[in-house]
Amino acid sequence: MKKIEILRIESLSRAPLVIEGYLFEGSDPEAPSLAIVGAMDGDAILPLFCASHMVDYLKNTINKSKIKGNVLIIPSINHYALNIAQRFWPLDKTDLNMMFPGYSEGETTQRIAAKVFEAISGYTYGINLERRRDPTNCLPHIKLFKSGYEDLDGAKEFGFKIIHHSELRSIDTVTLQYNWQLWGTKAYSIVCPVDNLVDKNISSQIHQAMVRFMDKVGIVDHKIFNAYESNVITKKNLKIVKAQKSGIFIPAEIVGNYVVKGQIIGSIINSLNGEVVSKIKATSDGMIVCCFNNSLILENAVAFRIANIR
Amino acid sequence: MNVTTKEIFKSELPVGETLSIKRTRFEGSRQDEKKKRISIVSGIHGDELEGQLAIYLLGRWLNENPDKLVGIVDIYPAVNALGVDTITRGFPIYEVDLNRSFPGSKDDFLPGQIVYALTQDIKGSDIAIDIHSSNIFLREIPQIRINKEFSHSTLPLAKELNCDFIWIHDAVTVLEATFSHTLNSLGTKTLVVEMGVGMRLTNKYGDQLLLGMLNLMKQEGIIECEEVFEVRTPFTSETGSVAYMNAPKSGLFVQFLDHCAIIKKDDKIGDIVSPLTGEVLAELKAPCDGILFTLREYPVVYEGSLIARIFSTNK
Repeated sequence: MKKIEILRIESLSRAPLVIEGYLFEGSDPEAPSLAIVGAMDGDAILPLFCASHMVDYLKNTINKSKIKGNVLIIPSINHYALNIAQRFWPLDKTDLNMMFPGYSEGETTQRIAAKVFEAISGYTYGINLERRRDPTNCLPHIKLFKSGYEDLDGAKEFGFKIIHHSELRSIDTVTLQYNWQLWGTKAYSIVCPVDNLVDKNISSQIHQAMVRFMDKVGIVDHKIFNAYESNVITKKNLKIVKAQKSGIFIPAEIVGNYVVKGQIIGSIINSLNGEVVSKIKATSDGMIVCCFNNSLILENAVAFRIANIR
Repeated sequence: MNVTTKEIFKSELPVGETLSIKRTRFEGSRQDEKKKRISIVSGIHGDELEGQLAIYLLGRWLNENPDKLVGIVDIYPAVNALGVDTITRGFPIYEVDLNRSFPGSKDDFLPGQIVYALTQDIKGSDIAIDIHSSNIFLREIPQIRINKEFSHSTLPLAKELNCDFIWIHDAVTVLEATFSHTLNSLGTKTLVVEMGVGMRLTNKYGDQLLLGMLNLMKQEGIIECEEVFEVRTPFTSETGSVAYMNAPKSGLFVQFLDHCAIIKKDDKIGDIVSPLTGEVLAELKAPCDGILFTLREYPVVYEGSLIARIFSTNK
C-alpha cells in the first residue's frame, strides 16, 4: 500500500490541508480498478469511517495477492470541515460535491475538485460514499442518476436492498458521480444515513456491500455471503408523507419497516404544551425508506418516504 | 392605488413561531383590462441585503406617488426569511441554496416547496427582477447577469435598469435550477441584478437601482409620470472581456486600490501577506487595463479565492 499526496493547500492560520489517498496495487494488470471517495462534507462521518475501514481491511485482512486490481481510497477530501463540525467548505460554505469536474485555475473548491478528479480519473469503477443532502435518515442504498451513462447492472452487485434510480436534475451535473460517469468510469454513489455516531450495523452493511462488489467484478478474490437482490426504485415507487403540523416529531416506525396505508407511523407533539397535535399516517403500503432525522419538525416538511414495488 | 400584503408560503416552526414568506402588491387603481405586472424579489440568499434597501426605496416611492402607478408591482423582499434574519445564506436546517432548488414542487422537501410557491405566485408576471448582492466575500459594481439563451428578450430591458455593466453569460446546465432560468422558461422576462456586498447596504447603489427600476417601469407602461429618469449607458460583456484574478497563495489580502477603479496593466491591486512572519507572500498586479468591477471584500483568502474581476473593452 502506498500513501499518495493528492493535494496540499496552505492556510492563513490553520495547518495545511493535505489530502491523501491510499493506493493498493493489484497483482493482475488485466483486472479492473476501483477508486473510493469518502467524506466530502464535514458531517459525513459514516462515509469517512467506511472509507478508512476499507483501507485497514485491504491492508490487514485481505491477503495482498488476493487484491487483483488497483484500488485507490481517499477517505476525506474535506478535513477542514470535519475538524470543526461544519458541513461545507468552511470559508465560503460551498459544497465540494457541486464542484466537479473542477477547474484548476478557479476558486479554491474548484481546484480541490480538479485535483481529486485528476487522481481518480481512469479507474474502471468508482464509489462515492455520500451523505444525504437533506436531514433524513435512510437505508444505505445505491443512488444512480438517470444520466444515460449509469450502470444499473453493476449497481446490483453490491447487494443493497434498494437502488434509487433518480431523475437527473440540472444541479446533479456538477456532482462527482455524474462527471465520473461522463468520463468513462462506472460510478455509484452509496448513500449513507446522516449520523454523528458511527452505527456499526449500518457501517458493516456498507462495508460488506463494497467487498461483495469488489469480489463480483474481479477487483479482489475474496468471497463473502450474498445479500439482497436489489429492487430498483424510481420516483413513481415513492410516496411522501408530510408533517401536517410542526412540533416535536416522534416516529413510531423506523426505516426498513413495512407499513400499511392508514397506519399511524408517527406523531407530532406541541413543543410547548406537550399535547399530541398530529398523528402521522402512512399514505401508502410499502417500506419506509426515509425518515426525517430531527426531532424538531417544521409544518409541511417531508416526515417519511415510503417505497412500494407493487 | 391598492396595497395588499399576502402570505405566499407558511410553515409553522417547531417552537412557537411561524415562517411566513410575504409579498406586497401595489396595484394601480385604474380599471385596465390587462395590467402589466413586475415582480421584484430579493433575499433568496439570506446574507444579501442590498435588495432589501432597493425594494424599500421602491415601496416608499410608490407610497408617495400612488397616482402614477397603472400596472402591478409585486415585491418579495425576503424569500429566505429565516436566512435574512440570521445571516444565513442558505435555507436554515436544510442548508441548501434556494437558488439551486428551482422550480421545486409541492411534494419536494421543504425548501423545494418554498421555491415552488414563489414560482407559482410570480408566474404570469411580465417582468421579474431578482436582486442579489454578491456574497460576503466580493463587492460588485451594479450589474445585470443575463443568460445568453434568453438575452434576446431580456437585454433590451437590462439596458433600462441604470446599472453599470451587463454580463451576458453562456448557458450553464447547473444554473437551470435558478429563479431566473425558471421564470424565463415560464415566459416572464427575468433579470438578475448583482450589486454591492453581502451583509451590508450601499446607499448609492440602492438609489441607482431605484432610478433604473422606475425608468424600466415607465418604459414598460407600469407607471406613468412626467419625470424623466436619466439612466447611464452600461458597458456590456459583448464589447470586451473579463479577466479573473484568483489568489495564488493563501493568506491575508491587503487591498491597495478601490473598487471600481480604472486601472492600468501592472497596477498593484494588493498583496497577500503572512501576519505570522511579516512576509509578502504574493504581489497582485493587474493583468490588463480596465475597470475593477469586482473586488475582494473579505480579506482571508485561500489559494484560488477570487480577488478581482477586471473588464477591458476591446481595442
